[in-house]
Amino acid sequence: MSELPEAPVLSIVIPLYNEEESLRPLWDAIQAVLPELPSTEVVFVDDGSSDTTPEILAELKATGAPIRALMLKRNFGQTPAMAAGFDHARGRIVVTLDGDLQNDPTDIPRLLEEMDKGYDLVCGWRKNRRDTYLTRILPSRIANWLIGRITGVRIHDYGCTLKAFRSEVVRHLNLYADQHRFIPAIAAGHGAQVKEIVVNHHPRRYGTSKYGIGRTFKVMADVVTLRMCTRFASRPAHWFGIMSVPFFVMSVIFGLATFLNLLELIRFGGLDVGYEAQTVFPSIAFLFFYLAVHLIALGFLSELFLRVSDHRMTEIIDAGGV
Amino acid sequence: MPEASDIVTPEVTRPHAPTIAPGPPELDVSVVIPVGRDVGDLRGLFGAITRELSALERSHEIIFIADGVSGDTLEILTDLEAESDRVVLIRFRQTFGESVALSAGFERARGATLVTFAPYLQVVPSCLRKVLEALDAGNDFVSAWRHPRVDPLLNRLQSNSFNWVTRAVTGVPIHDLNCGLRGMKREVAQDLTFHGDMFRFLPILASKQGFRVAEVKVNHMTEMGKRGFFGVGVSIRRFLDILTLFFLVKFTRKPLRFFGLIGAVLIFSGLLISAYLVVLKVMGESLAGRPLLLFGTLLLVLGVQMLSIGLLGEIIIYLHARKIREYVVDEEL
Repeated sequence: MSELPEAPVLSIVIPLYNEEESLRPLWDAIQAVLPELPSTEVVFVDDGSSDTTPEILAELKATGAPIRALMLKRNFGQTPAMAAGFDHARGRIVVTLDGDLQNDPTDIPRLLEEMDKGYDLVCGWRKNRRDTYLTRILPSRIANWLIGRITGVRIHDYGCTLKAFRSEVVRHLNLYADQHRFIPAIAAGHGAQVKEIVVNHHPRRYGTSKYGIGRTFKVMADVVTLRMCTRFASRPAHWFGIMSVPFFVMSVIFGLATFLNLLELIRFGGLDVGYEAQTVFPSIAFLFFYLAVHLIALGFLSELFLRVSDHRMTEIIDAGGV
Repeated sequence: MPEASDIVTPEVTRPHAPTIAPGPPELDVSVVIPVGRDVGDLRGLFGAITRELSALERSHEIIFIADGVSGDTLEILTDLEAESDRVVLIRFRQTFGESVALSAGFERARGATLVTFAPYLQVVPSCLRKVLEALDAGNDFVSAWRHPRVDPLLNRLQSNSFNWVTRAVTGVPIHDLNCGLRGMKREVAQDLTFHGDMFRFLPILASKQGFRVAEVKVNHMTEMGKRGFFGVGVSIRRFLDILTLFFLVKFTRKPLRFFGLIGAVLIFSGLLISAYLVVLKVMGESLAGRPLLLFGTLLLVLGVQMLSIGLLGEIIIYLHARKIREYVVDEEL
């Protein structure tokens, strides 16, 4: 039995929430693959489980296995649990794994091979997903397409937990608020080289999935944020500036219509908007102009926030190669 | 005269949690008492607390924060500090409010357990024992519930409705947020940030941060020194506090989910109205006399404005991501 190493090369981070049935088989599977791995610590993060998960962790730990178990105070959710594991992982390489046995630990050596080629982040792609199509696979396909399209980081499977990170990437991720879904896009936004490989996927043997649909709006809002923050955070004034353009154009159009009306020139096809141009068009032009100015002002304000913050876009690039 | 080092001029807003004196706690209990506008018999209070804590055989200190007070009150406090080596006095040159006063007290505290008191006798002093027992039982934060209240009816009505609305909005079952008596473990005080009027919501903030929060019933006394009925201005401010709390608790990390939803609804309504009017126009009706067109445009503009404010909020949060820690580790096995 291997001991918990002092300075491990690899940290395997596994968030757990009520996984009493999966935990032992999962540990057996990890143990089987341990001989193929460099010196490894396994960091279990118990996200406030209400079942016997904590007791099983204590038992496994008592066998002298290379396990660390972080017990969170209550159930915080997937992102905070992941962040807790990241903050405590000591390895040069960090691998994340699902606690529900749907990922296969035997894929880890292949992830490490890719890491050796110089990638900063290797993501698993569950190409043959073993889930129900309508409630799990289809929403996930749509989400992956949307996230890839909006963020510009096109990988097939944002939802797969099985990933390998260079520790510098982990250190600069600063995950909060459900961002675990977008890790590849965030890392790429920081300059990480991202690679995707096909991994095994098993159907869920125990328990039920802890996710569902019905979070579309949240994901949409998060994706918009992500796009802005990863690609435009260095120039937020551009974002707001571009947003203001259509309203500025509208204001000019309505203003022009008002003006042209004075010259009695205005007819669109069969529509005569002369009366409207006399009455409501000036007000509409003012409103749109007001909005355009507001947006530009917000752009300046956001530049100000960027200036006084200690945020750097290029942290990972600066951290140097492997 | 107090020494120069005792005169603290803190920032009005506190960006970080109180940095509690490093090293292991030197005492069992630190009692933190912010002394502001409403003051009762401080000597009597001091005597009652020390008697109670001595009887419980807990080593303790009592930290008074003179929040811009002067005259007799300040004299009593400086006398107490001179008389007893258990008293620490922190003086503000001007009034900074209860949140800042509490934070300054927490920063200075050396105890393993922190207890706050109102600067007048509010509850029967022996209730301190109940609070400490609840903390010993494994809770991280204990909020006192004055039950039954002995205040006038109007006062109770005001207080109860405030507590009821807060319970409904936050879902944290605390019945008496305005009680000055609270107990917490050192780590809780280290972890919480609060400003303005948010000190009232300490149990809610602690609960949302993942700490175990309990409530104990305490015996209420007639409060000598407190003002009576609070005016309409105070009610409005409490209401705004609850709204702020709701936003901060639910959307601090995700402002776009809040502003975005409002914005999307407004934009959608605006577009719907505009589309309806365009149809009317094509069918030959004049829009010149219809205020609805302006209303539709206004909704659209307001919606985009909401959205843009949400985006600005997201930028602010993103830029501070490295300071955000959303989890609390109980222990590592």
